[in-house]
Amino acid sequence: MSILKKLKNVYDSIEPPQELDYVVNKSIHQGKMEKKNRYRTYIKFATSAVVTTFALFVILLNTNESFAKSMENIPVISKLAEVFTINEYEESNEIDLIKAKVPAIRNTGNTDLENRINYEISTKINDIIEEAKNRAEEYKEAVLATGGTMENFIPIEINVDYEITYQDDNIISFVITKSESMASAYQEQYFYNIDLENGKELNLKDVLGANYKEIVDEEVKKQIVQREKEDENNMYFTEDEGGFSGIEDEYHDFYIDKNRKATIVFQKYEIAPGYMGIQNFEIPDEILV
Amino acid sequence: MSHVAQEKLIEYIKTNQNKLYKVAFTYTRNEEAALDAIQEAITKALENIEKLKKEEYVNTWFYRILINEALKSSKKYRNYTELELIENETYVNSNEEKIVENIDMYNIIQKLNYKLKTVIVLRFFENMKIEEIAFITKTNISTVKSRLYKAIKEIKLNLNEKT
Repeated sequence: MSILKKLKNVYDSIEPPQELDYVVNKSIHQGKMEKKNRYRTYIKFATSAVVTTFALFVILLNTNESFAKSMENIPVISKLAEVFTINEYEESNEIDLIKAKVPAIRNTGNTDLENRINYEISTKINDIIEEAKNRAEEYKEAVLATGGTMENFIPIEINVDYEITYQDDNIISFVITKSESMASAYQEQYFYNIDLENGKELNLKDVLGANYKEIVDEEVKKQIVQREKEDENNMYFTEDEGGFSGIEDEYHDFYIDKNRKATIVFQKYEIAPGYMGIQNFEIPDEILV
Repeated sequence: MSHVAQEKLIEYIKTNQNKLYKVAFTYTRNEEAALDAIQEAITKALENIEKLKKEEYVNTWFYRILINEALKSSKKYRNYTELELIENETYVNSNEEKIVENIDMYNIIQKLNYKLKTVIVLRFFENMKIEEIAFITKTNISTVKSRLYKAIKEIKLNLNEKT
């Protein structure tokens, strides 16, 4: 771990004391009163994020079984393989606000592959949401336990969405993104690159060949240097800070982009400070699929 | 503008209070002093809300006030001892070894003078842009950059002394 990352961990582990809520509220009140007295103006009290309970609207995710059944019912007219939204739902209550769009693939001509991938996606998204809800619940409990009230509790927003990055007769590539309002670090992406012909998921070796590691490492390093030169705000961790030193294996995150090129992805904090966000590097080599 | 700005400021403070506490604590190293700084900063900001030129700058504007108050407060509460950190249970959920390591790491930041500390905190812990830091510290981009490099160098030096 780089020094800066370690330091950030220590910094993040600073625990605000219980009185913080009280001090903040009192100071806000005090500040407003003092100003009011001074200017004799009417000050509208801030509506502290009032939490309204919206009508609960939940559709549960399809389980694998029901999903498999629904697949059987799809008529054979449309032949094109595609990624589609099998489920879209919203749930909103006083603790969290969940929006999810669940993708699935169909018409690939390979039912086994479809079932496996669709099952994986739906379980993954279920788990993600479950986990995020637990976190929101814990957070609520922590707020209440430290003397906070539900009145100034802001619901945690959880979003799951997907984007198709490339599609043709041979390949479908898409990415599922989850984000959470509570902490920006809680943004996660999952990549699916599917070889329709052979009915398998592609890895970097498949798309760039046996020398995939040299190709990727060299290109990423080159582009990091370029980006740092182009904009003074671009900053990457150096190697001894825990920065990029080469990808580990052919299963590193990537997607096929609109130019039909492999784009390598690094999650936030992976090779650069958090403000740099998720980092993408397009590899110019022609893909082999 | 004033009412809207005020509401915006209050909303900003409430949403970010934990973050603001961390910033304050980094300067004061003392819970009480950090809370004092927060209180002072909030009342001052609300009283001077018309000095906030644009609402979009609410966070950088407030950081500037907070850091000033945190520095003032840390001078007031100077009789701080290292032990207090452990007694305060600032690092809960840590085993003893971890606490010692954390304090070591923490002291590396503390060793920096406040100018260098500020750029490290804002850049790496609060993920701010160089321009924003320049605004907060009332300096310019090249000053912030040279402080950043200097701070990183010092951190590495201090780290090497330890090992």
